[in-house]
Amino acid sequence: MSEPAHRIAVRLARAGFTLDVDVAWNERVAVLFGPSGSGKSTLLEVVLGLHPRVHATVRIGGRTLADPHATALPADRRDLGWVPQESALFPHLSVEANIRFGSPRAGAAGAARLAQALAVLELEPLRARRTSELSGGERQRVAIARALASGPRALLLDEPLASLDLPLRARVLPYLLRVRDELDLPILYITHDPDEAILVGELAIVLDGGRVVATGPPREVLWSRAVLPLSEALGLENVLEARVRSVADGAARVETPGGLVLSLPTPAALAPGSALRLGLRAQDILIAVDPPGRISARNVIPAVVRSCEAVGDGVLVHVDAGEKLVAKVTAGAARELGLAAGTNVHLVIKAQALRRLA
Amino acid sequence: MTGEIVWITLQVGAAATLLAAPPAIALGYVLARREFRAKPWVQAGVALPMVLPPVAVGLGLLLLLGHRGPLGPLWRALDVQLVFTRAAAVLAAAVVGFPLLVRACEQAFAEVDPRLERVARSLGAGAARVFFRVTLPLASRGVLYGVVLAFTRALGEFGATAIVAGILPGRTETLALGIYARIQLGDDREALILCAASFALALGAMLGAEIFLRRRTSPP
Repeated sequence: MSEPAHRIAVRLARAGFTLDVDVAWNERVAVLFGPSGSGKSTLLEVVLGLHPRVHATVRIGGRTLADPHATALPADRRDLGWVPQESALFPHLSVEANIRFGSPRAGAAGAARLAQALAVLELEPLRARRTSELSGGERQRVAIARALASGPRALLLDEPLASLDLPLRARVLPYLLRVRDELDLPILYITHDPDEAILVGELAIVLDGGRVVATGPPREVLWSRAVLPLSEALGLENVLEARVRSVADGAARVETPGGLVLSLPTPAALAPGSALRLGLRAQDILIAVDPPGRISARNVIPAVVRSCEAVGDGVLVHVDAGEKLVAKVTAGAARELGLAAGTNVHLVIKAQALRRLA
Repeated sequence: MTGEIVWITLQVGAAATLLAAPPAIALGYVLARREFRAKPWVQAGVALPMVLPPVAVGLGLLLLLGHRGPLGPLWRALDVQLVFTRAAAVLAAAVVGFPLLVRACEQAFAEVDPRLERVARSLGAGAARVFFRVTLPLASRGVLYGVVLAFTRALGEFGATAIVAGILPGRTETLALGIYARIQLGDDREALILCAASFALALGAMLGAEIFLRRRTSPP
């Protein structure tokens, strides 16, 4: 049994916070997922070698960077391409000088890496610019190029999209995916956005309160029991307690304490009366103002809008359907439907969108 | 005569600034980046030459540099005579300008985002390269301002210099000392000429610095 390619093991106690992590994996692209304050950034700093006095085991891409029984590699010799939050470009240097910073005299190899970084991130037209003339998305692309051009043996991306608004995110994300797919580098991608985690990662490592609470494929792990309180903390999901009323045709009808009745598929036999816990993502709820006609969705539920709340990339619609639920729609849809407190609506929920959590 | 005094003043001021700058920049960086228990004491100690009566600083230097002070045996063994030389004038001006320079550097370095230094490290830059390519250039405005302040302070230095270097025409007589000596002699006309020269020098230095700093204002 050979060792996994990647491993981070560290115990670090600070005032009021303990980071206690030992996680190993083989997947090339791993997502470190968790809310702010969960220890993601501290863990990243340990990997980068910014806490030289902390005893840690760090192995990335089969290369040991730190080992409690030996002298750890200093930060400037770890060959990690770090893309920090909010890009952190050198303000006194041009775009090109920023990108070149990591390979000051690397000759032909450095020139090739510079050319590749400029090409992959399409920065050729911007190379002579000052960094103060760049937009947020451009800054982030320069930060990625700067990391790539230093000839890293792994990439560490720290919430690379978090500082961008949604339209910019959509423009930068394709570059990230291109970097992921065209370069065969191990990647550790930090995010608190479940959609991003699912899109980018092969493996999710979920961190909460300084501990790893789950690891596995992002799509499964982000819905697991351990991550559940976290989803609520992130304010994204609906979690419902319910009891089974009846089972027929491979579908169960369940009812919540508030009287909300839902249909969901049941692969395994469920005894009437048994308790369930259900998860429902805000964007999996459709909102109709007029009652929909014949429709495949098994759940069409009358509800009343309590409030609407604009968020970065849409509108959170808080509704009362016996239970308090939150749906997410685009700003345009909210406007067109005239959604406001008191509007009577119908929630359309596919049976498949209801996930059984417990 | 006036020309010689101006020339000596410039030499002493420039030498004092060059002497004070390296340790002041290093200390300013340490104060901006490190936390240690004795820090308030170091900061207070550094400020002392600025707030003590310059004459008291001069007396302290006289004790340290004189053959009869605690270091006297050393100076005698080395056969070095510092008191009442131009070197003593340089030293006095450097000591008095040092706190201004340290303070300016500390503030300038504190304003540099430490994340940029960490990114530079992750890109393979060792400590020296990080300092000279990232930290110092980004702090250069504040550091240069401190250098100019220390230089102009050195140009006007009187109390400490008079004690430790004396007023020796052609050797240690700078503008400030020259003005004092002319007033003592009742030669108001000469004193006023030297005042005008001081004024021109100080204004030139400050103005030059402001214009230079304006030109290289870093982007926001």
